[in-house]
Amino acid sequence: MNLAAMQGLLPLLVLGLGAAVLMLQISIRRQLGWSYAITVATLLLGAAAMEPAMQVAPLQVTPLLRVDNLGLFFGSLFCLSGAVTAVISRDYLRSREGENEEYFLLLLLSTLGAVILAYSTHVAALLLGLELLSVALYALIAYPERGTLPLEAAIKYLVLSGAASATLLFGFALIYAALGSLEYAEIAVQISAGRAATSPALILMGAAMVFAGLGFKLSVVPFHMWTPDVYEGAPAPISGFLAGVSKGAVFIAVLRWFLESGFFQYSSLLAGITLLSIASILVGNLLALLQTNVKRILAYSSIAHLGYLLIVLVAAGVSPEPGLAVEAGGYYVVAYVITTLAAFSLLGLISRQSGDREYDQLSDLAGLFWKQPGLAALFTVALLSLAGIPLTAGFIGKFYLISAGVDAALWGLLAALVIGSAIGIFYYLRIIYTMTTVGEQANPGTTADMLVGSRLVVYLLIFAMLYLGIVPEPLMGYLRTIL
Amino acid sequence: MTGSTTAELIPFIVYFGGVILLVLTMLGLSFVLGQRRTNKATNTPYESGVVAVGTSQIRLSVEFYLIAIIFVIFDLETVFIFAWAIAFFELGWQGYFAILVFIAMLGVALVYAWRCGTLEWGVKTRVGLEAKDN
Repeated sequence: MNLAAMQGLLPLLVLGLGAAVLMLQISIRRQLGWSYAITVATLLLGAAAMEPAMQVAPLQVTPLLRVDNLGLFFGSLFCLSGAVTAVISRDYLRSREGENEEYFLLLLLSTLGAVILAYSTHVAALLLGLELLSVALYALIAYPERGTLPLEAAIKYLVLSGAASATLLFGFALIYAALGSLEYAEIAVQISAGRAATSPALILMGAAMVFAGLGFKLSVVPFHMWTPDVYEGAPAPISGFLAGVSKGAVFIAVLRWFLESGFFQYSSLLAGITLLSIASILVGNLLALLQTNVKRILAYSSIAHLGYLLIVLVAAGVSPEPGLAVEAGGYYVVAYVITTLAAFSLLGLISRQSGDREYDQLSDLAGLFWKQPGLAALFTVALLSLAGIPLTAGFIGKFYLISAGVDAALWGLLAALVIGSAIGIFYYLRIIYTMTTVGEQANPGTTADMLVGSRLVVYLLIFAMLYLGIVPEPLMGYLRTIL
Repeated sequence: MTGSTTAELIPFIVYFGGVILLVLTMLGLSFVLGQRRTNKATNTPYESGVVAVGTSQIRLSVEFYLIAIIFVIFDLETVFIFAWAIAFFELGWQGYFAILVFIAMLGVALVYAWRCGTLEWGVKTRVGLEAKDN
């Protein structure tokens, strides 16, 4: 491993070293303030370390990882999202008794897993990243130990995630049996060399199993059952991390796997993804209509949003020039991660784990506009962005998706997207309407003050969502240069 | 592609059908031919002729699991050190520094486990808890 490789892997090294330092700090002297400071500093340093790493990109470091602009850009996005989650969690955990230091350690490790996923160009790296991301999340979901809901959520996630990993591994084993390689680029070479023609059934079955396993992590229908229960049970900042960073990182890994190993030439695979996408959009949006719990609404809405994102895979496979589709996917992931973090941050800030439950019922939000205008503004912008209303990041993302879909002539998928968005507006606006009603009952938890860090993060998130919606050109141009 | 796909799938289908058939035969035959008795001892578990005593749901101290998991982790880590040791000269300085980092991380983990009271039995004296001021 030479110096250039070290420089390319600097973000991973920083995050790993940060985790070790944090462990030492906990064993020397337990103190939440220090743990929090080390975590945030490590995550920000990790994001900043992408800059020196970019100077050596593109560079293949061992067969497992590749340092390139795509991985580095999303790596820094995940680091920053981890930092946002940490800041919100500090406020959320303020009144919790007992040991909270390990919470930040687990968050750091989970973010490291997400960054590895963004770097991966080999099945082994994909699995390592995925497991690091999810194993830390099992513990984080059950961290509050308040009632049985978090425990139930963690067990559900653990068992189903294990099953998904097994399916994923079996799929990779089948592909390995057919092609004799685990490296994405090598798989593409073997497929285009015609070696796949000798055993197409093995490869198709393998690819289908891989998609089933990853589809679980992305929670696309029909692998979505766990999502609402887990999001409801987990602490609100962790639900945001699960919905934003975990799904975003897995999607980037899927995009890489799909494009770099050349699986998009299989039209039956594309047809399967099309079905998954339409089912996710319709089921996610329709079931969200029936919920009264805001976390469950957001869970179903995230199922629908992943359905929208799958359009990118189909468009990249169908159209002769996949550049536009990948660009649209990149933009949508950025917009989606920021928006999801913002929406769950609000729930984290008003819940703060004071009582025996979180304030996540729709009725808890009644009159929030008159009590906490800043937080209500954050939530409103986030919901409008999720609904895809102009001047927000979500609108540009959706616009991008539609233009990629039109470019590839995917009329069925576009029809589903339009219908899904139309249904979506109803339940997003319902939440906003609830917030504007003059609440007769004052919910005690929703009026408390925030720490300075959280206040800063709230303003930053609002700014980011509006900025990406009003001035999308810089990010678009940047994505065009790196993809 | 379709022709060869179907040809390739035939062994899978035959195998799958065989599995189902075997299970159905075993269950069906024992259902049809087997005798049914309802004696006093029919539903008690067979423990080599000895009458079972007590319940199987004994409570074990959680320390067993902690020690066991720590053992499994550190036991597995030695595998990597062995792999490095047998290729010591081939790996050279680069391998040496890599394993140094690896062992350092193990050391940090051990210090953490020790200071958190994982290695103690009975009442835990977790370090630093009294110094908490948040």
